[in-house]
Amino acid sequence: MGKVKIKRKSTLIDMTAMSDVTVLLLTFFMLTSTFLQKEPVTVITPASVSELKVPVTNLTTVLVSPKGEIFLGISGDSDSTFSSEKVRAEVLQSAVSEYNKTHGKKIQLTQEQVSKFAKMNMFGMPIAQIPAFLDESQLHQDEIMMGKRPEWKLGIPVDDNKDLANPNEFQIWMRAIYNSSNPKMEETIKSGEGIAVKADAATPYDVVHSVLDNLQTLKMNKFSLLTALKTEND
Amino acid sequence: MAQIEQADKGGKKKKGAQKKMSIHVDFTPMVDMNMLLITFFMLCTTMIKSQTLNISLPSNEKVEQDQQNKAKESQAVTLILDTERDAEGNVKTDPETGKPAHIIYYYFGKPEVADENKDGLIDNSNLKVEKFIGNTNGEEMGIRKILHDKNKTVLEKIAVLKQDWKDKKISDEEYQNRAKDIRNDSLIQDRPVVIIKAGPKASWESLIGALDEMQINQISRYQIDNINGVDSALIFDYIAKHPKK
Repeated sequence: MGKVKIKRKSTLIDMTAMSDVTVLLLTFFMLTSTFLQKEPVTVITPASVSELKVPVTNLTTVLVSPKGEIFLGISGDSDSTFSSEKVRAEVLQSAVSEYNKTHGKKIQLTQEQVSKFAKMNMFGMPIAQIPAFLDESQLHQDEIMMGKRPEWKLGIPVDDNKDLANPNEFQIWMRAIYNSSNPKMEETIKSGEGIAVKADAATPYDVVHSVLDNLQTLKMNKFSLLTALKTEND
Repeated sequence: MAQIEQADKGGKKKKGAQKKMSIHVDFTPMVDMNMLLITFFMLCTTMIKSQTLNISLPSNEKVEQDQQNKAKESQAVTLILDTERDAEGNVKTDPETGKPAHIIYYYFGKPEVADENKDGLIDNSNLKVEKFIGNTNGEEMGIRKILHDKNKTVLEKIAVLKQDWKDKKISDEEYQNRAKDIRNDSLIQDRPVVIIKAGPKASWESLIGALDEMQINQISRYQIDNINGVDSALIFDYIAKHPKK
């Protein structure tokens, strides 16, 4: 009996095809996705059949957390004259000067603080806290925005004030955005594409109502509500 | 990584024959890296492109509000939204449909609040209750059916138009424009005016759902209003008459 010869086979697997597939997948993800914006609270927007797309530029997002805290996100134009950062810096300065007119305790901001603020995607805190907040490190800022530091108040203060000569902070911010030197900001707000209200599906209506009511008081009564897509059958 | 292997075929080789070389490049690290990148993109990005729903609210000035409330009573439909919540404020789920438990109270025309026999209950309350069900087997259900029936004339006209559009007889743009004209056609007498009111506990989703129904049912005249004393009286009355089992 002759010995059975076991052929030695190489165990190499050709990974070229696999690599092709992964590169394709990667390309797909890179092209179709948009990066998650850092938001202080994660909300799941309710679904609607409306198919209008969210504009990317000249948009003010009003984010309402389930607890009723209000955050604002400002995005400017795509060209550099009125880029998001420039618009934010300008809005901050005009909001603070407006705030100083009606409040005893004056707020001063350094150039560095303004440029830090301009880089923030979303903000939401009483104006009085802003200078101290901007002096914190990035890590601490994130912690504060996530609500891990109870000594910091979160959310832009809002009430049912109807007297625009003595506006509340939310009204100060919205007016500062409306009056910014970027003419498109005013244009889009007038046409109803400039303000997007984003709230969680389960948020009680009375929480969102205060925002809607304030926008009505500001005569910005055309705006859009952020929703996810669903079909008519659901 | 990359090997050059000689094809070893044992047997004798002819002298002078060229050695066959096959080149293997190991792509495993490449695949590893790609997988990592894919994971990164999957975790850090979002595919959901948000849509928007445009609304315009009446301005807060008193004069205008008075004028708006003079909507034709015969065609008025008032929806009052509410959401069932548990003790912690979380939205309950409807056991029948598995969806969040939104309740829609509605009445046509004017609210009836007369209590002539003085038993503390409203005699002929016209308040009814519906849910958001959507379509079942292509049939409108729940509140959609109510609104659909109310806006029948408009919807029938738009259905004809839609067929033309599907048959490619009219362009996209023309369809949109003509549908808009039909929605706002003041000659159609039975177009409803819907007043949407949301209770304090009603969830945001239910309001969006109600606005959605306006779009689906091609209702052009609707407004969001604040809940008032009469509405809450009606709801309390309804709850008193229909205690929960």
